[in-house]
Amino acid sequence: MIKFEHVGLRYGIGPEVLTDINFVLEPGSFHFLTGPSGSGKTSIMSLMYLGRKPTRGLVTMFGQNINDMDRSQLCALRQKIGVVFQEFRLLPHLSAFDNVALPMRISGHPESEVKSNVDELLEWVGLGDYKNVLPMTLSGGQQQRVAIARSVIARPKLLLADEPTGNLDDNIGFRLMHLFEQLNRMGTTIVIATHSQSIMDRFGHPRLVLEAGNLHVHDNANWVQKNIEGVY
Amino acid sequence: MKALLSRLTGNRRLGIADNNGRYDLPLNQSAGTHFLVLLVALMTFLAMMAITATMMLGGITKHWSSGLENKLTIEIPALKPDGKIREPAEIKALSDTVSKTLNTNPNIESLEVLSQEQINELVAPWLGDDVVLDDIPLPGLISVHLHIRDDEKLTQIKKTVERAASDIRLDTHESWLSDILRLARTMKLSSLIVTLIITFTTVTAIAGAIRSRMAEHKADIELLHLMGASDLYITHQLQRHAIILTLKGSACGAVSALMILFFLSIISGGGENGLLPGLSFSGLQILFLLALPAFAGLIASQTARFTVLRVLGQMP
Repeated sequence: MIKFEHVGLRYGIGPEVLTDINFVLEPGSFHFLTGPSGSGKTSIMSLMYLGRKPTRGLVTMFGQNINDMDRSQLCALRQKIGVVFQEFRLLPHLSAFDNVALPMRISGHPESEVKSNVDELLEWVGLGDYKNVLPMTLSGGQQQRVAIARSVIARPKLLLADEPTGNLDDNIGFRLMHLFEQLNRMGTTIVIATHSQSIMDRFGHPRLVLEAGNLHVHDNANWVQKNIEGVY
Repeated sequence: MKALLSRLTGNRRLGIADNNGRYDLPLNQSAGTHFLVLLVALMTFLAMMAITATMMLGGITKHWSSGLENKLTIEIPALKPDGKIREPAEIKALSDTVSKTLNTNPNIESLEVLSQEQINELVAPWLGDDVVLDDIPLPGLISVHLHIRDDEKLTQIKKTVERAASDIRLDTHESWLSDILRLARTMKLSSLIVTLIITFTTVTAIAGAIRSRMAEHKADIELLHLMGASDLYITHQLQRHAIILTLKGSACGAVSALMILFFLSIISGGGENGLLPGLSFSGLQILFLLALPAFAGLIASQTARFTVLRVLGQMP
């Protein structure tokens, strides 16, 4: 599904924020991406959601080398990826309904299907009464739920979430994690960037640990507690 | 209906999304939207005026030249080469001789020897009604309609009439008409150039507005890309926006121009003096003028498409 080989990334002429990253994520896997602040979690996520190309190395997504892809090929690939951004990135002039509907409309689903799916999902995330409301009038947690609903509405093959439960209370956070697990059981590959030790402990999926631009893959949940817990 | 009333009364509910015609980008809220509509309206108004001027000048050129095609006038001067006055009886005799000779020419479709009354009518506007024309020596005139008009045939006719009297002249009307027609053609060309400049200005304004919208909503466009929106998906939104604004503006401009033209056609009086044709349009010309807003919409659509695809091509 995702393969990084000797990947490096720098912004402009600055230092490398990611150095020689190597890992493989199999289809249908579920990983947490963790590491201290500034370790490059958002950068590695941006490579995975095809927001940028690496400055060196090879990134293979869905069996295709993204370095060789043109704009139209990237668009088709991006439709298979759902993203929850750390800062939500909701379109402020669109209602909660229209924000969630965007990926389906972009993929060309009929409007009747869009309406039923979006209504159902908004009800599920507890925002059924807020579908005509603009994001600016929603709380941080509600905006986050809209962003999560938007990322999963088109049944992506890969779901990337950057701190998806950061603004949510534990109850809703765990509920959304169960939604991600449900999607994972249906075949969606999931990568969640998080600082939340309780969520990582409770759900026990393998961890991609980023430290000073380098990445280590660990299946053993206890490793993080022993080695880098004190850092963040 | 509720939305319309809400919009008209300005009674908008804070925090509730408007139905924005399914734009993913907030194009309706962009600065300069009204300015673009006004600019397109003005440009359409000017374009309609310039095109009308072109049509009118085309009509005038046709009006002036059509009556003289394949026609010439033979003039038997009232003054002989030796300075003596030619008597009316002599003029009549020469007219008859020339007309009889020319009647045998197969290239001549018809000819008419103008009577004294017809000649008097022709000169009356220049000399005034009070002058007794019987006392003034006037030339004899023969109006000739040819099958084919070319230099060879005209030389042949000239030789034929000069056999009757060497000072008989052929007036082909070209000498005075050509200057006026050249002037009319120059003015017509100027109108066309003005129309082209207006089109170019409109294209530039639309392209500038589209670029400005894209810069304003760059983050939103990037987000749409990240969700898998193709360049064409984004292009269609901006294209639709440009078409709607242009159609609004050009419809306003066209209606204003048509009202002004209607008013001008009333005060122009239908060209009763015969020198200028009245301000009237054929069905085809009216259709062309009415199609101008649609043409403006087409230009806007293609300009927007080209601009958006070009700008998106420069994005990562």
